[in-house]
Amino acid sequence: MSGLLIILAAFFLPLFPASLVFNRLAAGTTNPFARLALFIVWPQIGVALILWGDLAPAGTVLATWATLSAIFYAFRMLTVREVGRWAAMLASSAWPLVWLFVMQGPSGSDLIAFTLAMTVAPVLMLLVRDALARRLEAAYTGLRGGLARDLPRLSGVIAVVTLAAMALPLFPGFFALLAVLSGATLGVAIGILLTWLLWSWAGARLLQGTIFGPRSGPIADDLPRSTTWLVAGLVVVMVAAGLIWTGGAV
Amino acid sequence: MTLSLGRGLKIRSMVHMAAEPIPNFWPMRTFIHHNPLHGLEDLPFPEAVERGEELFHGRGFLPRADYQRLFNEGRVDRDTLEASVAAALEERPALQAIGGQDLLCTLLTERRDPVITKRTVADLDDVAAALHDRADEPASMNVETLAERLRGCFPAERPFYEALDLLYGTRIGETLDELLIKTCLDFFDEGQSAWQMPGREQGLFTAWSALARRNLRLFLRGLHIQKILVQSETPEGIIAYILDELGIPEDVWQDLIVRELTHMHGWAGFIRWRSTANRYHWAKEYPADLVDFLAIRLVLALSLIREHARRRKMPGNREALEALITERPAECYLRHELFTGGVLPAHAEAVEDVVARGKPAEVASLLTRYLPTKRRAEGERQARALDELAELAGAPETFRDLDHDRLVEVLDELAAFEKREGMVWLEAMEATYRRSMLGKLRLTAAEPREKRPFAQMLFCIDVRSERIRRQLETIGDYQTYGIAGFFGVPVSFIALGKGSEDHLCPVLLTPKNLVLEVTTGAEKLDTDLYSSAEHVLHDLKHSVLSPYFTVEAIGLLFGFDMIGKTIAPAAYNRWRNKIEADKPSTRLMVDKLTREQADSVVRALQRVIIVKAIHHEFGIEREAITDSTIRELREAAMEKHVGQTSFARDFALSESAESKFIKTLQTDYRINRSYAQMQLERLGRIGFSLDEQTFFVAQALRSIGLTEQFSRFIILTGHGSQSDNNPYESALDCGACGGSHGLVSARVLAHMGNKPEIRRRLRTEGIDIPDDAWFLPAMHNTTSDEVKLHDLDLLPASHLVYLERLRNGLRAGMRRTATERLQTLEPDGEPELDAVKAARKAKRNTVDWTQVRPEWGLARNAGFIIGRRHLTEATDLEGRTFLQSYDYRVDPKGRLLENILTGPLVVGQWINMEHYFSAVDNEHYGSGSKAYHNVACRLGVVTGNLSDLRTGLPSQTVLYDGLPYHDPIRLLTVIEAPFEHARAAIDGVSGVKSLVKNGWVLAVILDPETGRLHRFVDGEWRQEALPTAEQDATDQPAAEEIPA
Repeated sequence: MSGLLIILAAFFLPLFPASLVFNRLAAGTTNPFARLALFIVWPQIGVALILWGDLAPAGTVLATWATLSAIFYAFRMLTVREVGRWAAMLASSAWPLVWLFVMQGPSGSDLIAFTLAMTVAPVLMLLVRDALARRLEAAYTGLRGGLARDLPRLSGVIAVVTLAAMALPLFPGFFALLAVLSGATLGVAIGILLTWLLWSWAGARLLQGTIFGPRSGPIADDLPRSTTWLVAGLVVVMVAAGLIWTGGAV
Repeated sequence: MTLSLGRGLKIRSMVHMAAEPIPNFWPMRTFIHHNPLHGLEDLPFPEAVERGEELFHGRGFLPRADYQRLFNEGRVDRDTLEASVAAALEERPALQAIGGQDLLCTLLTERRDPVITKRTVADLDDVAAALHDRADEPASMNVETLAERLRGCFPAERPFYEALDLLYGTRIGETLDELLIKTCLDFFDEGQSAWQMPGREQGLFTAWSALARRNLRLFLRGLHIQKILVQSETPEGIIAYILDELGIPEDVWQDLIVRELTHMHGWAGFIRWRSTANRYHWAKEYPADLVDFLAIRLVLALSLIREHARRRKMPGNREALEALITERPAECYLRHELFTGGVLPAHAEAVEDVVARGKPAEVASLLTRYLPTKRRAEGERQARALDELAELAGAPETFRDLDHDRLVEVLDELAAFEKREGMVWLEAMEATYRRSMLGKLRLTAAEPREKRPFAQMLFCIDVRSERIRRQLETIGDYQTYGIAGFFGVPVSFIALGKGSEDHLCPVLLTPKNLVLEVTTGAEKLDTDLYSSAEHVLHDLKHSVLSPYFTVEAIGLLFGFDMIGKTIAPAAYNRWRNKIEADKPSTRLMVDKLTREQADSVVRALQRVIIVKAIHHEFGIEREAITDSTIRELREAAMEKHVGQTSFARDFALSESAESKFIKTLQTDYRINRSYAQMQLERLGRIGFSLDEQTFFVAQALRSIGLTEQFSRFIILTGHGSQSDNNPYESALDCGACGGSHGLVSARVLAHMGNKPEIRRRLRTEGIDIPDDAWFLPAMHNTTSDEVKLHDLDLLPASHLVYLERLRNGLRAGMRRTATERLQTLEPDGEPELDAVKAARKAKRNTVDWTQVRPEWGLARNAGFIIGRRHLTEATDLEGRTFLQSYDYRVDPKGRLLENILTGPLVVGQWINMEHYFSAVDNEHYGSGSKAYHNVACRLGVVTGNLSDLRTGLPSQTVLYDGLPYHDPIRLLTVIEAPFEHARAAIDGVSGVKSLVKNGWVLAVILDPETGRLHRFVDGEWRQEALPTAEQDATDQPAAEEIPA
């Protein structure tokens, strides 16, 4: 039974090739709200399965598998230019790390928090994707660069969200990675660090293809101030939640 | 492969011709302002700008939005703009018929983007359908047509790797640039690197190919350079081989070479200049030319192309590319769409997926859906732009009412107008300035002076002199003149302790005379402890391994230095100046040496060297030997003495030891006949003869009209800039002094002017300089506006009593100027800035290493006035005008005016054009932001760690908050002289005539005898009314045209 549950969970906390299902679903879901819901709920189903089945997955094979899945999708992020797909790849690279965290025997709430921490950046990136698509017809990097001068607010949001995706300090992803690294073996730790490095590289490329460089393409309206403040508030809440979680207040 | 001599020469001449449009780039130690389109100056300005856009991909005019901002600020003349629109409409009947005047004015002043949008597949039917909201099914497009269009995108003269980049997104061009830049950084290094590239003395191509043959990194990247290099020994042979290999027809080789060279025009411009700089030390030591540069570029390009062709199955030459386009036109089209960025954003993902899979059926299916969508989108975009314009102009149906044929005509005419729009804006901007400047001029006769002025000050014509001249004239009895900063004396200068010559004159001239700086010997030249420590630190920093432990050991010292320079730059710098050794007092060797004097100098030098040699070889001190012993040894070394020397006798040297020492003197210490002869020849270049000195002093004084009423002080004020951590410091120095400061030139002319013999000769030429007049050199620091007097130790005692008054006046002038200038540097600063505080702030800029804009330099330069000072006296020209003093009455033949036009005006035009193009397109013609600059090879700057050499001016010099601070307009040249006199002078200098005729400078002649103004417009001189200050103030039209 537990074996079956683990295989089932491997679809929701996607391990390659089961991850193909999530990626296909993400690509096929055009409604932005449905896509947001998919990103938030999907990994939590995996977490729920683990908690419900009281699963305690272990073993080098699973750890290696999860690490390689994370590295593989991190590498794919370098080649993908559509921001929605980029977000899906980020999620597919981040969520396998949940398995590595599970192996350290966390509490149920910690597991949920960890998974949320790994979900925040892809979800925010989906919001960026929609903002870009509304203004530039598509959220495709490298086509309409140099947004920083004409769309400073949107560019700021893209920069902050990308930094979150790169799991830089203060963002929840950073603390989640620290948590999983602290209990990892040397080999797995190297894999996680490589994944982290690839996220940073991919993030830098994304910034290069959107906000930097000479301006090209038609002029579009910038993000409204209210939305910018909303996103800023969201980021603050997210950072605060991450700090509270890792600080042991919860 | 052996190339025939004829073919080799043909390739060499092709490269030479191809490099013609590329402007020279001089090392930045002496920054030379230049016109980036100097090679195109034989074309009319608008055509050259267009050609420049093709070659350098740089914009020739500001974006419309920037012009609109200037228009709203009143810096663009509305009347001229409307007149230009009206003139344009005369040739455009279709636009005329739909109320073109309003439409075009609205287009210029209210619409930010061009109204003609890019259409690649949509035709007029698509636009018409979109305009009339019809959902017509777009006509289908044959794939053959697509293939034909693609072939048009990749003409044979286009570098082949660009085709691969645009079809496969390979970025070969970027990689190629990177590899080539690294080679340039290695080869052209002028002492910045700790390890030098080996074999540089053999030349660029030979040195590089020797290294590339065994470069493991290149081999590991799959670049088999060896296979290409074995094809020929010469760079010409390699070029021919590669172009043949790529299948480039020989008749387009030259066009292709132009594209390859202009691609990195910074390095190409530097190499072009370097290969002709015969006296440039580094060029003599390590030769290189553009043929080498091109050969290396092509070798790298071919190896990268082959590597990609092998690994990713891409076409490796033009034949294969042609086959690919013929066989798979649809895929090629979609690839081209994707990698050029022309793809419809909504389809980008699908196109990327399909071309990645490369299945013909999928490609065909996608193309069937993509093309109609693209046509529709392009048609709708064009229709939307037209509708928006019509809406703005208040006639929303303007374009909807047009039939098909009329729509075609209107769109063609709109496109033609937008293409020429830059000139419309430019001329309207120039009209505003012209009216404002001419309106301030006084064409009335000057009132004669009752007594001579307290001091006469000669300043450089530089625009920065205008402010301080005006302020000095306001506060005291100063009479000022403008003269090119080298004072008309071309000097090749060797500074104290330097081994190389600096040319202190415009780059158009080559000085014949050498001036040497020598110490007076008043101060001890022994190295003090501080200087020794500084040298040790410098050496530690610039070796390969020592920086690693230096940082650990003494890094903290640098930390203190950094904190001091950052937190309190002014105070810290004052303290450092106290502990640093002062520059010793020096004299210049300005007078020509006679043969006897030169002999004597050589003998004296040889004697000093012999004393040192004896001490070094035998440890014998000077007191143990006599002058006659030294003379004897010298003669022995010069082969004029036979037999044993007294030195050998006195110190019991054997015959062999004596002859060995003599040999050492000849070889190691270079005391021999041939070297002495060479020294004599070099000494022959030092100084000026009395005739030359008389000529230069007379010419300088006549050219500015100063031939009588000489004051007690004739102050020759050179200028220079002072800033810290600023590779562009020399760009702020004197352009007329070849990018150096002007003090040396001032000292040279002062030396000449103070000689009694010269004055006696001048008297015979009608220039009577009284005995109590003294030429005094001074230095104007344009960053702080301080004017420092030099060579005061030579000042006659009779003048010392006036010195305090002079200094007071100069200090007051400095403070007033600094106050005026600070407001432009800090527009948001204190509105009522105290003069003392302003001066302190300006001075701080000279030592503040965090300051990216220590001064505005020559930004906003716009005018060049050649005439007497009373024309501009007491007029605020806002530091925008070059002021060349000239009195036509002392120049009946117009020769002096021709000299002014040939030298100072051309330098002014280069400065103006450098600022113009750096302001309109700072990324391409300028050098981008200083914040990202790094000094490369000690000769220029690059952006980041690798880029083309950045030519032009940084954004901080011409832009403020990303918008143009410098008004990009052409130099308005005003000559105050009788019309025929001035016209003859312009016609007499073919270079200047061409500049005027082609619209690179705008010429106006103010005839003081008739009081009329003549302006060169549309290829002819027209007489116009002189605008008045009142007209300017009330914003009335500038000048009513009067037929000539």
